Amino acid sequence: MNATPKPTNGSWSPSLVAFFCNWCTYTAADLAGVSRMKYAPNIRTIRLMCSGRVDPQFILDAFSKGADGVLIGGCHPNDCHYAEGNYKCLRRFRLIKRMVADLGIEEQRLRLEWISAAEGEKVKTVVNEMVDQLKALGPLGIPKQFAEWDAEMTRLEHAAQTSQSAESEVAHA
Amino acid sequence: MVAMLEPELCEKGATIETVLDTPEGKRILTCIQCGMCAGTCPYGEYMDYPPRRIINMLRRGFIEEVFKSDSMLRCVACYACMSKCPRGIRLSDVLLPIVKEQTLINQPEIPAELQKTLQNTLRYGNPMGESSRKRVNWATANGTKVPIMAEIKRPVDVLWFVECYTAYYQRGQDNSRAVAKLFNALGIDFAILGNEEKCAGDCGQLTWESGLFETLTDYNMEIFKKYKFNRIVTGDAHAFNAFRIRYPMYGFNYPVEHTTGLFARCLPQLKPKLTKKLNYTVTYHDACCLGRRAGLYDEPRDLLLAIPGIKLVEMTHNRVNSICCGGGGGGMWLDTFFKQKGMERLSERRVKEAIATGADVIAVSCPYEIYRFEDALKVIPHDKPIIVRDVVELLAEALGD
Amino acid sequence: MYIPKKHEPVRIGFYICHCGVNIASMVDVKEVAKYVGTLPNVVVSRDYKYMCSDPGQEMIQQDIIENRLNRVVVAACSPMLHEQTFRKATEKAGINPFFFQMVNIREHDAWVHTDRLEATRKAMALARAAIQRVPLHKPLEVKKVAVHPNVLIVGGGIAGIHAALVLANAGKRVYLVERDPTIGGHMAKFDKTFPTLDCAMCVLSPKMAAVGSHPNITLWTYSEVAKVDGYVGNYKVVVRRKPRYVLEDLCTGCQECVEACVYKEPKFRDEFNLGLGKRKPIRLPFPQAIPPVTLIDPETCIELKSGKCKKTCLEACGDRKAIDFKQQEELREILVGTIIVATGYQIFDAKRTPYYGYGVYPNVYNALEVERLINASGPTNGELVMRNGQVPKKVAVIHCVGSRDENTNRWCSRVCCLYSLKLAHLIHERTNAEIVNFYIDMRTPGKGMEEFYNRLSEEGMMLVRGKVADVYPDPTDGTTGRLIVQAEDTLMSRILKIPVDMVVLSVGLEPHPDSDKIRRLFNMSCSSEGWFLERHPKLAPVSTFTDGIFLAGCCQGPKDIPDSVAQAGAAAAECFSLIDKGHIEQEPNTAFVVEKECSGCKSCIPLCPYTAISLLEDKKKAYINEALCKGCGTCVASCPSGSIVQNLFEDAEVFSEIEGLLAPVPV
Repeated sequence: MNATPKPTNGSWSPSLVAFFCNWCTYTAADLAGVSRMKYAPNIRTIRLMCSGRVDPQFILDAFSKGADGVLIGGCHPNDCHYAEGNYKCLRRFRLIKRMVADLGIEEQRLRLEWISAAEGEKVKTVVNEMVDQLKALGPLGIPKQFAEWDAEMTRLEHAAQTSQSAESEVAHA
Repeated sequence: MVAMLEPELCEKGATIETVLDTPEGKRILTCIQCGMCAGTCPYGEYMDYPPRRIINMLRRGFIEEVFKSDSMLRCVACYACMSKCPRGIRLSDVLLPIVKEQTLINQPEIPAELQKTLQNTLRYGNPMGESSRKRVNWATANGTKVPIMAEIKRPVDVLWFVECYTAYYQRGQDNSRAVAKLFNALGIDFAILGNEEKCAGDCGQLTWESGLFETLTDYNMEIFKKYKFNRIVTGDAHAFNAFRIRYPMYGFNYPVEHTTGLFARCLPQLKPKLTKKLNYTVTYHDACCLGRRAGLYDEPRDLLLAIPGIKLVEMTHNRVNSICCGGGGGGMWLDTFFKQKGMERLSERRVKEAIATGADVIAVSCPYEIYRFEDALKVIPHDKPIIVRDVVELLAEALGD
Repeated sequence: MYIPKKHEPVRIGFYICHCGVNIASMVDVKEVAKYVGTLPNVVVSRDYKYMCSDPGQEMIQQDIIENRLNRVVVAACSPMLHEQTFRKATEKAGINPFFFQMVNIREHDAWVHTDRLEATRKAMALARAAIQRVPLHKPLEVKKVAVHPNVLIVGGGIAGIHAALVLANAGKRVYLVERDPTIGGHMAKFDKTFPTLDCAMCVLSPKMAAVGSHPNITLWTYSEVAKVDGYVGNYKVVVRRKPRYVLEDLCTGCQECVEACVYKEPKFRDEFNLGLGKRKPIRLPFPQAIPPVTLIDPETCIELKSGKCKKTCLEACGDRKAIDFKQQEELREILVGTIIVATGYQIFDAKRTPYYGYGVYPNVYNALEVERLINASGPTNGELVMRNGQVPKKVAVIHCVGSRDENTNRWCSRVCCLYSLKLAHLIHERTNAEIVNFYIDMRTPGKGMEEFYNRLSEEGMMLVRGKVADVYPDPTDGTTGRLIVQAEDTLMSRILKIPVDMVVLSVGLEPHPDSDKIRRLFNMSCSSEGWFLERHPKLAPVSTFTDGIFLAGCCQGPKDIPDSVAQAGAAAAECFSLIDKGHIEQEPNTAFVVEKECSGCKSCIPLCPYTAISLLEDKKKAYINEALCKGCGTCVASCPSGSIVQNLFEDAEVFSEIEGLLAPVPV
């Protein structure tokens, strides 16, 4: 699906995809809601049972489909509902972080936060902070880039085909 | 212990109209009218409008009445109300300065003594109206040799900001000589600004003469830019306060330390040098700007206890509960006004507590206190002799030779 | 009943809830429903005022039948609240409950945003994610796990005691573990209780005795939970039993050993009386202690410290042979199905508000000390005598000490106003002293409480509205220790300096300092203050986020005795509902290995914290034991060949969710 950055009253606004673990961060976000804290509406959350479930492919997929930032939320060290899923997440996160940097995606676009079920306030601050940073960075625009590459490929293929047919014509002549 | 009051970034341009829109101002709306501020205020019983009542007048739309009263002139900026406020309302940072400024504007006349002082500070760069060319005299008299930035022409580690009382007044100079002696003993690379220095302006700020304060800030910031140094150290608790809290609003970002904090940090090197036994019973008076304002409760006490022979006793009110000497927020120059209003001098109240401890020495760490307490001792009867000494004076004395 | 057939085209019903105005005021629900109606596979798309209501659920069920729906998506509140409700509703109409997906547009959207357009867009994106995900859902079955009928209760205060008796009386086996040498908790220290003014011990001690003698209760005092393993229905718990050097089975509670101790007079700080009295190294904590078994303090007992005592206690015990200086710490392992945590609170340490002089001036007491001082079994036998031997003539009671304060604890401890009034009354009754109560706001919620306040006000105690700012010795006073209490009377706008003989600090309640340790032990959450977090503040007030572990009493937050007891009953009932059902249903979110894709690389095996994964040696394929798998999905995310699948969270489902979230929306 080709997502183009959607206009907000004419201007661009970042989209932030979040993967929250069910037990701590998702619950913290619920708490933020119950406490009527206000934060930026750019975040779209996917609930997983544990931050350990966050597959690096999810992150890359989110970027490739138009996310300007990805936030992962898990339980604090020692507090994981599944004992150590958050550590596994952290290990994977360190690797993917380097890879994402190598792809030329700015560091601030990918963030991991430990947010316990009681820290509704932290959900608010982290989301607001990250949305501010994304606004400063501007759109990542990977889908657009893909579209341009696709177009270029089609052009090249077309060019190759025409030149080929031209050649063959020449050959036939 | 009660939380230390972290220096907080407050809007420097907040007015009574805009203050409630700032995050700190919003806290004012959470006031539960418990009366802690009024109850703890050393002059609470003489105020028509202690902070609790000011807040209620503000919330109900009667704040103009507060401005017309001279109640706020009684505030000695001791931070007691702010440090005990159960709602964490930053009274001394946010609300009271605005009320003070408006009070001054609305008074038919400003108490003469205070007026004169503010004028002196503006004209001469010190509240006493002394010539700015005499500021460095202490440092060159009596064989003392103190390096001066303009003369040594090289970068130093510590820029020592001496301040007015410690430069001009006899007892203040004792303090400065002690600091110089201790710096030398510790091998600290330091220098002073000499005659280029002007008052840091803390009390101008605390009486909210904001124009005066900004003039002094601009001046001193320019002087700082002339020289290369790593950090600023001052023996004046009020200058320390100004550099910590207010100067950063104008772009100041040097590391700042009060001599008490610095020497306490250097105690491992300093302690072996403290060889002379001082057989004093000492009671320590917490300076508002160091104690309640900066959480430096233990440092001066650690220094005193490092001196051989010293026995430390506490006054009834100590640490967070300490009572102001009455000199802050312009109180230094309002004694006549206070007397007219039938108010007890706080320095006298404090000295009575010190006498009750049976101490020989009242140890202090703010240059105002030397005068205030020595003055108060002249009128408060006491059987046993008692003297006032700055902590650094006692340290220098214990250095021996 | 309509039963959808396999391989039938996906037919989704979408429902968006107004939640009264909770959602509808911030999200344009009609717009969202209209938009979702245009998405592929969506057959019906509706909005309704309260989806969770009976008519709301019936609407879904009717649509399932009439429109042959085979998938349902509801956009409403958090799945934590109503996922089960809607799963059940869809199941009733004949489709697998896991063909349902919930979208959280209340807690995660309407309640946290302020821009209606943005909130509506977000709702659309979230709904679309679910619409794209739900066709991939598979029919699943809930897992059933047997529940062990035994219950562990941690903490033997009034909450733990009550829960233990409720369960034991119904024939359940209960292990009650208490850290102190006796049960009774704080309530055993109180003199009388508000608002009835009945004697705390008179109502408590029969219950304590019942616990001590109940055939279904195993009481382990002076013991702590050391380790908790397992999961709901099957918790394996290790309890550490500290040595009391007196054997419980053999001690008769005669206390002859205490009489006989080589220390003729009590000499050491008596913990039960908060140091206001003295005790010997061997002692019974208090006369009604349960179990009525003495214990020896190794810190002060000469024999235990040096081995050089005449051991007169041993002699006095004689043939009963109950004293054993060689007793060792013991570890006991038990299996239980459910756990009630009732670990209580501690009182605020008044030294943290130094301006009240607690610990500096001997005539300043905290409220719990005063409870002991006026208690007939206390160190002064119920006579209110201060440390200086005098009976106070004027007493100040300071409310809110450490409470409602940014510098200490921010919360209102709820019981202090009432116990302050009670203490004021009792002190006045015992000593005829004049009482001044300093309060900020008088808070007397609850049945009979305001009437209590009213009644006591008539007694003529002075009530000053103002927080005390300073307590200091009266400078005009010589040696009696008279204090000045300084506060603003805020109703009179006047600073009062009232001389008193005694100051009572009404300290608040706060979590135990080791609440964090306890929390980790039981895998619970804490509020930022340190109180244990209930699953839902209104609808699951005694449940925790860990199934099978429940809360009772003040460990969850400050409360009075009636509320603690009520909560204990509720926690016991929660245990019953699990035990009597006999099994629990678990989310089928476990993982499994698709054998033909597994390369047998074994990288998943060490990742599983539950050792659920093993290698099938013959096939060289990984295998996940479903009974052990808890469904975290960590192995799924790390499988290099992508051969592990987590039910409910399959890769394809998450990818489709991501795609849905990022798709453009029309507004």
